[in-house]
Amino acid sequence: MNTARIAFLILLLVPTVAWAMDHDNLDPNRPIAIEDAYVVPKGEIGVEGGLLLSDRKRGDSRLVFQPQLIIGAFNNTQLEVSSDVSTDPRSVVGDDKSGNLMVGALYNFNTETVSLPAFAARVQLGFPTGVSAKGVDTALTGVMTRSYGRWRAHVNVGYTFLGSPQGNERSGTYRVVAAVSYPLGYPTSFRDTIIVNVFTRQSDLVGQRNPTGVGIGLRHQVSSRVVFDAGLGTELVGPSDRSLFFSTIGLSVGF
Amino acid sequence: MALILVSAIGVSAQFEQRDKRFYYRAFWNFALRENLQELDIEFNGVDFGHSNLYENLLLTGAKDVPAIEDRARKETLQFIHSRPVLNPNEEAIAPTYMKLAWKAQNTFDEAHALHRSTYDIYVSDLPDKDAAIRKVLAFYQDSQYAITAKRLDHQRLDTFSYSKSFRRKFPLFNATIWAYHYLQVVVYDTLGTAPDLPAKQNAVEPILHRYREYLEQPPVEWTFMPMTEELSPKFAADYPDIANIFNNLHMMHDNISDILTTDLLPTWEDKRNEIYRVTQAYYWASADATNPFIVHDGQPHYSDSAPARERDAQDGHSGHSGKEQ
Repeated sequence: MNTARIAFLILLLVPTVAWAMDHDNLDPNRPIAIEDAYVVPKGEIGVEGGLLLSDRKRGDSRLVFQPQLIIGAFNNTQLEVSSDVSTDPRSVVGDDKSGNLMVGALYNFNTETVSLPAFAARVQLGFPTGVSAKGVDTALTGVMTRSYGRWRAHVNVGYTFLGSPQGNERSGTYRVVAAVSYPLGYPTSFRDTIIVNVFTRQSDLVGQRNPTGVGIGLRHQVSSRVVFDAGLGTELVGPSDRSLFFSTIGLSVGF
Repeated sequence: MALILVSAIGVSAQFEQRDKRFYYRAFWNFALRENLQELDIEFNGVDFGHSNLYENLLLTGAKDVPAIEDRARKETLQFIHSRPVLNPNEEAIAPTYMKLAWKAQNTFDEAHALHRSTYDIYVSDLPDKDAAIRKVLAFYQDSQYAITAKRLDHQRLDTFSYSKSFRRKFPLFNATIWAYHYLQVVVYDTLGTAPDLPAKQNAVEPILHRYREYLEQPPVEWTFMPMTEELSPKFAADYPDIANIFNNLHMMHDNISDILTTDLLPTWEDKRNEIYRVTQAYYWASADATNPFIVHDGQPHYSDSAPARERDAQDGHSGHSGKEQ
């Protein structure tokens, strides 16, 4: 059975109950690699989790569990604790080592106005608690969101400093993601947001091409507290072990 | 991106923070949604109605009467008829208005959350609802976006140079907005009096029936917005601060409708400046020390010292038919 079939079956079998705080508030990997410039409201606690299935051009397919805790700790500031737990963990290179503990903060500078986009900045530390991990990685990301009618455009630009690169790993990598999101259903339904992204990031190993691709995802508000998400995409170019196809499903629960 | 941000901060006076705050977390959250869905659905429709109105007023320049009275109003009815079980994402309904006047919207959002919290408490099986209501009130008043709990002179707040422009130009939608406000305040005494959930469900039925009649045939004969003490006198007597907050909230809605309608404030920037001036000087609790519209003890609610303009409801009679029995 090929990976696409496995992914399809997972999408069918997982209960269609998902939890999201706000389906229009985009967080990284829920379901695809983009976030908007807005944080969760002060006082909110969110628990998110997802499964990523990656069918690689070379090497075994990989399943990644992505749990995350989000806390609206202060005005316009959210704190996050997360981890990626992957099958085939020893094949992971770069900053996403399986089992690493990541602690981050996202600060929203401003709300969007008629003349100004919304801006935010993220700082994230990756502690080497995972398989084959060494050193503390540091990621800095700038986030911008601008709306055009009901369309929203988002740009994420980031750079990750590896604390202790191993072998041919780069000491630092950049990444750029651009996306648009749109709330489906106006004027009779406000439960779904569709997201499309394009991304490129510097390869984890020296001498390889940038993994570059596209993704599409949907966030669906299931109940007042719960959002379900699903997405899929491909890395069109990149190193030989890039993802030919990836799919994600996840839940976010706010309380 | 950092350079863009720094430049933007430096050149723009429109840099403002978002300051979203989560509601008061308690086990009674969403009790209304879970236990009295018929009423909750109507409130979800109310959320749509306000935002959809503001967005359409802004985008049409309030110059297209059919676009407001017919199209936008019917969109609201269409949404209500869709039986929405969740409150809508208002930023998707009114993306332009949210960008124009976020602080005012955040003021609405927090006051609406107080509405929701009090409904949840009234519908819950809490033994001590009074203590819970005082907790959510204290939580609300802890916000910089809290509307004053002082009684304001709403008649004078309805005498700015642009006042009443919305109701004159769009009487049907204005009456629809007042019908929303009728529903939002009339249910308190009904929910508070009914002893249990089945009784509450039965008690709100005639209110919902009357409200739906108002939506179909907006009560254009009303001359002023519904007042909490008029429709839920026991609630207003028990919680005068909350009653004042809701009355002030609804008056602020009327002021903003007028600002978005009037030709006296021709540009979006003019409208934004006036919305923020009114919000911050006359409605935020942080302005209590200097707010000239506060009715002090011993003074009548409806001041006679108002600037001489139309005084449709000077005697305080608004024409509402009162609460359902």
